[in-house]
Amino acid sequence: MSKKVLVVDDDPDVRSFVVTVLEENGYIPLVAHDGVEGLEKIQADQPDLVILDVLMPRGSGIRLYRHLKTDEALKDLPVIMFTGIALRSFLKSQKALEEFNGEVPKPDIYLEKPVEPEELVRAIETKIG
Amino acid sequence: MEIKKLLFVTKFEELCYDALNSLLSLRQANLDHVVFLNVIERDKVAMKRGSGYLKEEEVKLKETANIRFIDWAENLFELGMEVGAYIEVSSLISEILRVIEKEKPDLVVIGRSHKGTLEQLYSRSDITDLTRRVKIPILVFKHMLEDKVVPEEIFRRPLLATSWSSSSEAAVNCLKGLSGVIGQLHVMHVVSEKDLKSSDTHEVQKVRKYERKRLDDLCDAFEEAGIDARPHVYVGDPEKEILKAAKEYQASMVILGTSERNAMLERWMGSISRNIADKSVYPCLLFPSEK
Repeated sequence: MSKKVLVVDDDPDVRSFVVTVLEENGYIPLVAHDGVEGLEKIQADQPDLVILDVLMPRGSGIRLYRHLKTDEALKDLPVIMFTGIALRSFLKSQKALEEFNGEVPKPDIYLEKPVEPEELVRAIETKIG
Repeated sequence: MEIKKLLFVTKFEELCYDALNSLLSLRQANLDHVVFLNVIERDKVAMKRGSGYLKEEEVKLKETANIRFIDWAENLFELGMEVGAYIEVSSLISEILRVIEKEKPDLVVIGRSHKGTLEQLYSRSDITDLTRRVKIPILVFKHMLEDKVVPEEIFRRPLLATSWSSSSEAAVNCLKGLSGVIGQLHVMHVVSEKDLKSSDTHEVQKVRKYERKRLDDLCDAFEEAGIDARPHVYVGDPEKEILKAAKEYQASMVILGTSERNAMLERWMGSISRNIADKSVYPCLLFPSEK
């Protein structure tokens, strides 16, 4: 059975690129436009993987990632970070938040935009086959 | 009232990261979330005879804005803050209103209006339009003086010009929550010449004494809230006297309630807050009426 992948990104061009890559490789794409909608869709549609942007309106990927990794029911959901924000800044932000909210694991896969379709497919296959 | 979330509206020419940086002292008063907004005016990408809709230009402008926002966002994320961004082709005021509706910020930060005097007379300035249509404070930011230096901390020495209106009261309520942020607050009231009932010295002194007592009470209330406040009474044309006081006390910003005049009257006669926000060198924090 095909696996569901949720793309959370505010940029329509990026969503369209990722959706095309997913469809061509036999996955079922789901989309959300921001962090708030992303969480709603995760809870409602239970995807097998989330591809998550960082800088978005109505809730950034930084806060959504923390939410996922600290929620007992969602902490094992695989997440691929896919963003223009540098990994260095992402890790520093998590460190700043850890002072108040505790530690969360680093993302297994962090892709800085832009990437080639093959690289994205490899990352997805690493996480969900 | 807390300022936890601010909407930072920029065209990049007039409002850059140094301006945002000067507002980060608000983190001591719980500022935690910054939303960036860049509006690409429609005429920059609009359909032109012979070339059609300038899609490539839109993509270029959006990407340029995105690169700037990513850079700014990285700085704020590293401080543990929450950041969001919108880049839209639209008209400025309608887009600001749309984002306010979605994000519910506590403060809007915007650069000085770029409309000319005639254009403002007929279509109103962006600032006037905004103050009439939003119910949250608006900070009209500007580079001070000709060298375009942004004051490092604009809350260090603000000047509050109170007219005792409900919008001035809204300003007072908000400022009381900024005790860790404000250095020294200067509080002034301008008695206009028409309010001096006679030119008799005794009468003038009575008015001054009455206003000074009101200001003293207000400063006591600020000091109870942990803010060092100094009262000043001025007499004369309010617009000129407010700017005079700002200069005398080297204010880092002027804080005003907005006019409660009706729209037509304000368009033709102007308002003190609009004139100061549009024309003076000082950053202006404008509070709408709570009514």
